[in-house]
Amino acid sequence: MIQLYNVCMSYQKEATALNEFSLKVPKGDFLYLTGPSGAGKSTLLKLLYGAVKPTRGQVLINGMNITRMRSWRIPMLRRKLGIVFQDFKLISTRTVFENVAFPLEMQGKKRFEISNKVYQALKHVGLQGKLNRFPLQLSGGEQQRAAIARALVIDPLILLADEPTGNLDDDVTCEIMELFKGANARGTTVLLATHNREIIRRYPRRIVSLDKGRLVDDHTP
Amino acid sequence: MLQSIGYFMRRVGRNLRQTPVLCSAAIGTVAVALMIIGFFGIVVVNVQQVAQQWSREIQVVAYFDQVPDLGKVQQWRSSLEAMAEIERVEYVSRDEAFKRFKIRLGTDADLLDGVGADFLPASLEIILHDDNQNKGGVEAVVQRLKQIPELDDISYEPEWLERFDAFVGLLKVAGIVFGGFLLFAALFIVSNTIKLTLYARREEIEIMALVGGTPLFIKMPFLIEGALQGILGGLLALCGVWAVFTLVLREGLYGVLMVTGTEGILFLSPMQQWGMALCGLMLGLTGSLLSLRKFVRI
Repeated sequence: MIQLYNVCMSYQKEATALNEFSLKVPKGDFLYLTGPSGAGKSTLLKLLYGAVKPTRGQVLINGMNITRMRSWRIPMLRRKLGIVFQDFKLISTRTVFENVAFPLEMQGKKRFEISNKVYQALKHVGLQGKLNRFPLQLSGGEQQRAAIARALVIDPLILLADEPTGNLDDDVTCEIMELFKGANARGTTVLLATHNREIIRRYPRRIVSLDKGRLVDDHTP
Repeated sequence: MLQSIGYFMRRVGRNLRQTPVLCSAAIGTVAVALMIIGFFGIVVVNVQQVAQQWSREIQVVAYFDQVPDLGKVQQWRSSLEAMAEIERVEYVSRDEAFKRFKIRLGTDADLLDGVGADFLPASLEIILHDDNQNKGGVEAVVQRLKQIPELDDISYEPEWLERFDAFVGLLKVAGIVFGGFLLFAALFIVSNTIKLTLYARREEIEIMALVGGTPLFIKMPFLIEGALQGILGGLLALCGVWAVFTLVLREGLYGVLMVTGTEGILFLSPMQQWGMALCGLMLGLTGSLLSLRKFVRI
């Protein structure tokens, strides 16, 4: 599903974000990317959704080599991915329903199909009663649930989450982790970047540790 | 396809409703920029009219030494009228010239009592086509006339012609340079105003790209919006220019151009008015396109 071979990535000459990094993630896997700040976790996720290109090495997703992918094909790749961020990245001027409908609109889906899928996704994350609210009228946990609904509404092959619980308290973190577990149980590959040891302890899965852009540990507890 | 157009139009409507102040600013900027261009256009149109009026006075007169044979005159007329530069040739006999002179003297015509028509020479008056009413056209005709030995004198005021040509040339260069400068300045201002509206929506644009929107799909509503703002600005500018023209400009410009003997002050032609609205559309579209290049990056 995801293969990285000797990937090097540097933003400037002397600041190496990833260094000779190789990794294989089979379909349906759930793994934590962990390590201190600046270890390269976010860069790795950015490489996977095509926001940056590696300086060297190869990145394959579902057999597609995204290192050589032309920029006009990147949107097609992203339509197979669900992405969740620490700061939610919801559009403040749009309702929860409209935010979740956004990926389907970008794919040119029909309106009744969008309504149906968005309602199901919001029901799944428990926000069906708040679909006409604006993001700033929701709590942090609710905003993250809306962001997860937006990521899951397209039934993604891979779910990429960059510190999704960074701004949330423990109870809400558990709710969010249950949503990720559910998505994984339905066959979605999940890559979750976090430095929250408590989550890893409570929801033990494969752990890939990075430090200064290098892979330092890869084990399943 | 229809579904996409419907989606784009809904998004344009939503954007216009969500940021009315910024949209009004963009429309206003296009309108003000085009109004300045419109005023400049009116000045150019009227100065061109004066130049055209002056050019109508350009003609060549060739005087005969002796009264020519009418058969020969007919031959010269035919051969001259075959020239591309010449519209028509008129033969003015001594009697005709005398009659005109009398009319020109008006109340003093009695000064000619007892004088015969034979002191005035017969002549050929050569009227050139509009496109050839310049130094080049006149000189080509004069060269041809010099081949007729019966002609004594050819009158065509070469110095005046040179000055007129220089004036028309200057007018064209000034029109292109100043008009181009105004358009460029308008594009710069409009593009920066649109950039502000896009900056307010940069979050939305970023998310569109992250969830798989293609560049065209992301840009299209903004392009439609820019074109709409541009055409509205263009129409507003047209109304503004017409109002200012009717209230102030017509009188003012007539006061300035009266000394040139202008027949009246012209407004922009219907074609130029359409051009102005189209120019607004292009300004909005190009302004959006230039700004989107910075904001839409996949």
